[in-house]
Amino acid sequence: MTTRYLTWLLAIPAISALVVLLLPRGWEKTIKRFSIGAMLVEFIISIRLILADYSDAGYHFVEHVTWVESFGISYKVGIDGLSLWLVILTTLLSPIALYASWGSITTRIKEYAFSFLLLELGMLGAFVALDLFLFYVFWELMLVPMYLIIGVWGGKDRVYAAVKFFLYTMVGSLLMLVAILYLAASYEKLAGHYSFDLQELSTLVLPALPQYLLFAAFALAFAIKVPMFPFHTWLPDAHVQAPTGGSVILAAVLLKLGIYGFIRFAMPLFPVASQAIGPVLAGLGVFGIIYGAYAAWVQRDLKKLVAYSSVSHMGFILLGLFAMNRNGISGAILQMINHGISTGALFLLVGVIYDRRHSRLLDDFGGLAKVMPWYTLFFIIITLSSIGLPGTNGFIGEFMILAGSFLSRTAVGFGSSWFIMTLLATTGVIFAAVYMLHAVLRIFWGKVVHTENESLADLNRREVASLLPLIVMVFWIGLYPKFFLDKMNPSVDAFVTDFTVRYEEGLRTGEPRLVDFDKLTQRFEAAGGLALARPAGEEAQR
Amino acid sequence: MHLEAPQQILLLLIILFPLGGAIINGLLGRYMAKGLVTLVGVGSVAVSFALAVASFVELYGLSHDAEHAALAYHFYEWFSLKLPGGTVVPVNVQFLMDSLSGVMTLVVTGVGGLIHLYSIGYMGEDEGYPRFMSFLNLFMASMLILVLGSSLPVMFVGWEGVGLCSYLLIGFWYENRDYAAAGRKAFVVNRIGDFGVLIGMFILVAVAGSFEFAEINAAAVGGEFRPDFPILLFGVAPSLATVACIFLFLGCTGKSAQIPLFIWLPDAMAGPTPVSALIHAATMVTAGVYLCCRLSPLFITSEVVMSIIAVTGTLTALLAASIAVVQREMKKILAYSTVSQLGFMFAAVGVGFFAAGFFHVFTHAFFKACLFLGAGSVMHAVHAHGDADIFKLGGLRKQLPITRWTFLASCLAIAGFPLTSGFFSKDEILLGAAAQIYRADNWLTTSVGWFTLIGLTLAAVMTAFYMFRLYFLTFTGEYRSADQSGDHPYDAHPHESPPSMTIPLVVLGIGALGVGFLGLPHVMPITGTHLPSWWSHWMHASVAGQPVPEEMGVVNLASGLAFGAMAIGISAAWLLYRNKSTDALTNKIPARLYQLAFDKWRVDELYAATIVNPIKNVATAVGHADMTFVDALMTKWPSFKVRETGRILARLQNGVVQMYGAVMVVGVVVVLAWFWTPHSRIEAAFEGTQVELTTPAGLGYEYRWDANSDGEFETQWERAPGTRFEYSHDDVRGVAVFLGNAASGIERRIEVTEEWSPLPIESVIPEESLPPRVMGFEVRVDGEELLFRQANAPVGPSGRQEIRLPMGRDGRLGPARVFSRPLVEATVEVRNTFGNMRRATKEIALPFPLGAPSHASLIQPAREVVR
Repeated sequence: MTTRYLTWLLAIPAISALVVLLLPRGWEKTIKRFSIGAMLVEFIISIRLILADYSDAGYHFVEHVTWVESFGISYKVGIDGLSLWLVILTTLLSPIALYASWGSITTRIKEYAFSFLLLELGMLGAFVALDLFLFYVFWELMLVPMYLIIGVWGGKDRVYAAVKFFLYTMVGSLLMLVAILYLAASYEKLAGHYSFDLQELSTLVLPALPQYLLFAAFALAFAIKVPMFPFHTWLPDAHVQAPTGGSVILAAVLLKLGIYGFIRFAMPLFPVASQAIGPVLAGLGVFGIIYGAYAAWVQRDLKKLVAYSSVSHMGFILLGLFAMNRNGISGAILQMINHGISTGALFLLVGVIYDRRHSRLLDDFGGLAKVMPWYTLFFIIITLSSIGLPGTNGFIGEFMILAGSFLSRTAVGFGSSWFIMTLLATTGVIFAAVYMLHAVLRIFWGKVVHTENESLADLNRREVASLLPLIVMVFWIGLYPKFFLDKMNPSVDAFVTDFTVRYEEGLRTGEPRLVDFDKLTQRFEAAGGLALARPAGEEAQR
Repeated sequence: MHLEAPQQILLLLIILFPLGGAIINGLLGRYMAKGLVTLVGVGSVAVSFALAVASFVELYGLSHDAEHAALAYHFYEWFSLKLPGGTVVPVNVQFLMDSLSGVMTLVVTGVGGLIHLYSIGYMGEDEGYPRFMSFLNLFMASMLILVLGSSLPVMFVGWEGVGLCSYLLIGFWYENRDYAAAGRKAFVVNRIGDFGVLIGMFILVAVAGSFEFAEINAAAVGGEFRPDFPILLFGVAPSLATVACIFLFLGCTGKSAQIPLFIWLPDAMAGPTPVSALIHAATMVTAGVYLCCRLSPLFITSEVVMSIIAVTGTLTALLAASIAVVQREMKKILAYSTVSQLGFMFAAVGVGFFAAGFFHVFTHAFFKACLFLGAGSVMHAVHAHGDADIFKLGGLRKQLPITRWTFLASCLAIAGFPLTSGFFSKDEILLGAAAQIYRADNWLTTSVGWFTLIGLTLAAVMTAFYMFRLYFLTFTGEYRSADQSGDHPYDAHPHESPPSMTIPLVVLGIGALGVGFLGLPHVMPITGTHLPSWWSHWMHASVAGQPVPEEMGVVNLASGLAFGAMAIGISAAWLLYRNKSTDALTNKIPARLYQLAFDKWRVDELYAATIVNPIKNVATAVGHADMTFVDALMTKWPSFKVRETGRILARLQNGVVQMYGAVMVVGVVVVLAWFWTPHSRIEAAFEGTQVELTTPAGLGYEYRWDANSDGEFETQWERAPGTRFEYSHDDVRGVAVFLGNAASGIERRIEVTEEWSPLPIESVIPEESLPPRVMGFEVRVDGEELLFRQANAPVGPSGRQEIRLPMGRDGRLGPARVFSRPLVEATVEVRNTFGNMRRATKEIALPFPLGAPSHASLIQPAREVVR
C-alpha cells in the first residue's frame, strides 16, 4: 500500500461498486454488509491521513501520473489542511448514511449500494483532485448517483425533484467546463503547452476582465451547489423527495463541494475578481442567513425546515470564506464539518420519525418527549449544535466566522461594510433559535394529541449506532476544536498570504503573464509578512 | 496566556462535580433508585460548595499579602483568533477566582446547595425527579463556568449554558404547552441579548487584543478604548468603549431582565418553584450585574453608557414595582419584584457604585431565594399548582410557622427594615445616586443622578408596600380556602413542609437578616461615625467604582429617603391589608389604571404588535415567495424560455431551401467581413536596451514598423510579425509615473500632469497602514523630472519646499516607492491579402532610463501624450 493512500481511497469504492454489481440480486444481506464494510475500511484508511504533519502548508500524499499528455491532463491528487477534514467528513458520513438507509430502503438494494459507493468515489475524488480536468470528472460523476438516489428511491414527486437537481447543477457545471478550457488555453499561449494542473495554472495571471468572466463561471457552478440565495430553490425539493440517506449525504457533503470549489479553485485562480465580487457573495450569504431562517420558521414539513436551515447555515460559511482572514476561513471550513454533522444528524433524526409515522408534518406530532425520551435527548443535542450553543461544535464555527467578518478590515476582505455585515449575520443566531425551538416545541412538548403517536418505539440499536458518532463529534469539536484547527490553520494562513500576493500581482494591469509566485511570496513575507494588514502604529515604528 | 496567579485545580473540580452529577442523573437517573439520584444531585453540589469554601479560604489568605489576590486554573487552549496585525489571541479554558468571583461562587454553590436540598422535598414525588436534578446540576455547572471563566468566551459558555438550563427548567412540565412556550420565549429573548454580547466581545478583542477580563480592563484603564468608533452611529462618533458597552449591556438586559428585554422573566415562573428561586431570582438573572462588575473599569470610562444603565435600571425598577403592586399571585409578585430589584442593582452600576450593586446581588440572593422557597412552601402546603392566588390564602401563620417567620424576615430585608441585609444594600445604592448629584459636573450626570435618586425612592416605597401586601394577605387574617364550598381550589388543611424544605428556609432567613453587616456604610448617618466596611474593602481588589462620599448631607439624605420609603410602604400595606381579604387598592386608584398595571402595562402586546408580528408576517411572506416567486424566477421562467427558444429554432428547420440559402449567404458575408480588414495589436518585451516588438501573426499578413512613431517606417513590408528597436532619447514622448509598495512589490501607474495634483499613495498602500508623515504629498512633472511637495506644509520665503526626483531614480516615501519611466510610442501597419490596411499604436513605458537629452526643449509636455 506504501503511500498511495489517496489512490486506495478512490480505488476501494470503485472496486467495491463493481463487486456489488457482480453479486446476485438476491444476496441482499451480503450486499448490505459488504457495502458498509467497504466504507468502514475506507474510513479507517482515511484516519491515516490525519496522522500526517500538517504544520507546513503544502500538499500531502501527492500522486501525479500523466493521463492525456498532449492536453496536459494528469491524474494528480493530494490533500492539505483545507481538504483533510472534508475527506474525513465524507468517509465518516458515507457509511453512516448508508447504514441508516438499510432501515428504510427495501427495493433495489443492489443498485442503491452501487449508487452510494459511486457517490462516495465522486465526492472523495472532487476533494482530492489537484487537476482541474480530473476535478471536473469527479464533480460530474457524483451528479449521476445522486440523481438516481433521488429519482428512484425518493418520495412522491421524486422525478421532478431529481430532474430539477440535475439541470440546476448541470447549467453551472457546463459554464465551469468552458472556463476550465479557456484557462488551459490561456496557459498554453504563454507556456507553450496545455495544462490542467492546478499548481501550474496558478502561475497564470490574467487581466481583470477575463478574471471576472471566469470567476463568474466558476462561481455560478459553486454557488448553485452551496446553495447560495437565489440559487437555492432546488434544495428544498431535492431534500424533501430524497430518501433519508440521500438527504444526509446531500446536506452533509455535497453542499460542501460548492464552498470547497471556491476555496480551492475560484479564489486563488482569480483573486482580483474574487476580491471584487466576494463581498457581494458574502452579502448574499448574509441575506441567505436571514432569508433561510425566515423561510425555515414557517415550514410545516420538518424536512423542508431543515433544508432551509441549510441555506441559512451555508450563508454563514460564505461570509467567513470571503472575510479573507484566518478566523473567517478556518471558521468556514470548521463550520462545513459542523454543518455536515449537525444537519446530517438532523436528517437522520427526521428519518427516524418518518419511518415510524410516514409523515414529517409538524402538525402530526407533539408530546413525543414522553414517548421517545432518548430520541428527544438526541434531537435536542443536535438542535443545540445547530443553533450554535457554546460547548457544541456549532458555536466554534459561527464564532470564528463572525469574528473573521468583524476583523475583515485589511487589504483583502470586506472593506468598509464589515460592521453591517457582522451585525446582520449575528442576528442569525437569534433566528436560528427561533426556528429550531419552534420545531422542538411542535414535535416534543405538549401532550400527545395523535393516538398514533402514543406507542411509537424509541430509537433502535441501528439508529443509535448511526447517531452516536455524530453526537461524539458535536462535543469533541465543541470542547476541543484545537485538534481540528491546528491541522488546517497553516494551510489557511498560507492561503490568505498567497491570496494577498496574487491579488496585488493581479492588480497590475496588463497582459496575461506567468508569475513565479513562490518568489513573490517570499519577498512579501520577508518584508514583514502581512505588511499590508499591519496597523498604522506598528508600521511607523519599523 | 497563563495568568500570573497560583494554579488551583479545585476551581476546575468545583465545576466538574455538578457537571458529572448532571451527566449521571441525565443518562442513568431514570434507572436509578431515588435515593441514589438525590445523593448524586445534592451530593455533587455539596462537594462543590465545600471546594468553593476551601478555595475561598485560600484566596482570603492570599489577600493579606497581595493587592489583587486571585487563584487561577489553566485547563487547556480552546481555540485561537488571529488579529489583523498578525497577533494570535488564544482563547483559553481558564478559570479565575478573585474577590468578585469568589463571593459569587460561594453564593451560587451555597444558595444553590440549599435549593437542591429543598428540591428533595418539593420535587421528590414528581416522576421527572432525576431529570430535574440533572438539569439543576447542569445549571450549577454552567453558572459556575459563567462566574469563574477568566475570559469572555469562557464566560459566554456559562452565559448561554444557564440560558439553556433556564429553557429546559421553565418548560420542565413540558406537557403543558404554555410552559414550554414560556421556556422558548426565555431562550429567544436571551438570544437577543447574546447577540449583543457577541458583538461587544468582537469590539473588545479588536481593541484590547485579548479576551481575558484582566487584560481588557487593563486596556480600558490605559485609555485604549477612548478613540472614536470607526463608524458613525446615528450621526455621532461615540467612543469605542461606549459602543462596546452598549452591546454588552444589551446582553445584560436580556439575561438580567431589564427594559426592553424583561418580558421573559415573569413568564419564567412556569417552572418549578426551586427553579424560580435559584435561577430566576438568586443567581442567573444577576449575571448581567456580574458582567458589568467584571468589566467595571471599562464601563466606567463611558459616561454615556453609565447614564443609559442608570436610567434603564431605574425605569425597570419603577415599571416592575408598579406591576407587582396589583398582581394577585405569589410567584408573579415575586417575579416582578425580582425584575425591580435587578433594576436597583443596575441603577447602582450606572451611578458607578459597582460594589454596592453587587452587594445588593449578594443580599438579594438570600432574601429573594427565601421568599421564593417560602412561596413554594405555601404552595406545597395548599397543593397549589403553578401559582397561588393570595386572595384565596390568608391566615397561614398558624399552620406554617417556620415559613411565616422566614418569609417575614425576608420581607423586612427586601423592604429595607433597619439592620436587615436589604437595609444596608439599598441604602448604599441610594447613597450612590445621591453621590452622583453631589459629584456631577455636567447636566447629563446631574439629571441622571436626580432621576435615579427619586425613581429609586419611589420604587423602594412600592417595594415595601407590595411585599407586605403579599405577606399580610398570605399569613394574616383567616384562611380563605378552609371553606371548600366556593371557588377555592386549595387544600382545606395546609401543613408545614418537611425539614428538607424548612432547613433551607431557616438558613436563608437568617442570612436575609444578618449578611448585611458585611457591608456596613462607610459613614454612619446622623452621628457621622466612620465604620469598617468589609465588603467595599474586599471588592476594591477587583471592582472599580466612584468614591464613596463622606459628606454628612449626602449620607443623611440617602438614609433618610431609604428609611422613609420603607416606613411609608409598610405602613400603607398595614393599613390596607392587615387581616383583610379584599384588595382595597381597587377603590383607591382609577379602575383603568389598575387594570393597565394588572395587565403589565401591555408591554407583551406592544412587542407583539410592533416587532413579533411584523417579523412573523415577513417570514410567512418569505416562505410563500420562495416556493412561488423565487423558484419561478430561477427555475420556471428559464425553463419556459428554453422551451420557447426551442420552439423558434424548430420552426427554422422548416425545410424551405431558399431560407437555408439566405442564412448561408449571411454567414458567408460575416466571415468575409472578418477577414476583410486585418487585426493587430502590439506587445513589447525588453532585452537589455533593446525592445522586442511583436504583434499576433495572421494568415497572409504583412507588417511594417514605425517603432518610434515619428512617421518614418524603419522596416519595409515583411512577413515576420516582429522587429527589434533601440530607442534613443529623442523618441521619448513623456514620462510614465509609477507608485509601488516596497513591501509587496505591487506597482501601479498613475496619471501625473504639469499641474500639481495629489499623489494617490493610498492606491498601493491601504490608508490604515500609512504613517502620517507620508500623507498629503502632491506631485507634478517638470520636463523629465518629478516634483513633490507636502500640500499642507508651511510656505517658506522661497515658496513651499519641493523635492526633485530625476528620471530613473527611485523615490521612497515610507513604505511606498515612486519612480518615473520614459514613455515611447510604437506603430505598426498590417496589410492582408485583400490589400486592406490597419494601423495600431501602443504606448510603451521603458523599464530603463535613456541617455541625457540632446536638447531638452524637444521633450513635449507629458499631458499631451498621455492619453
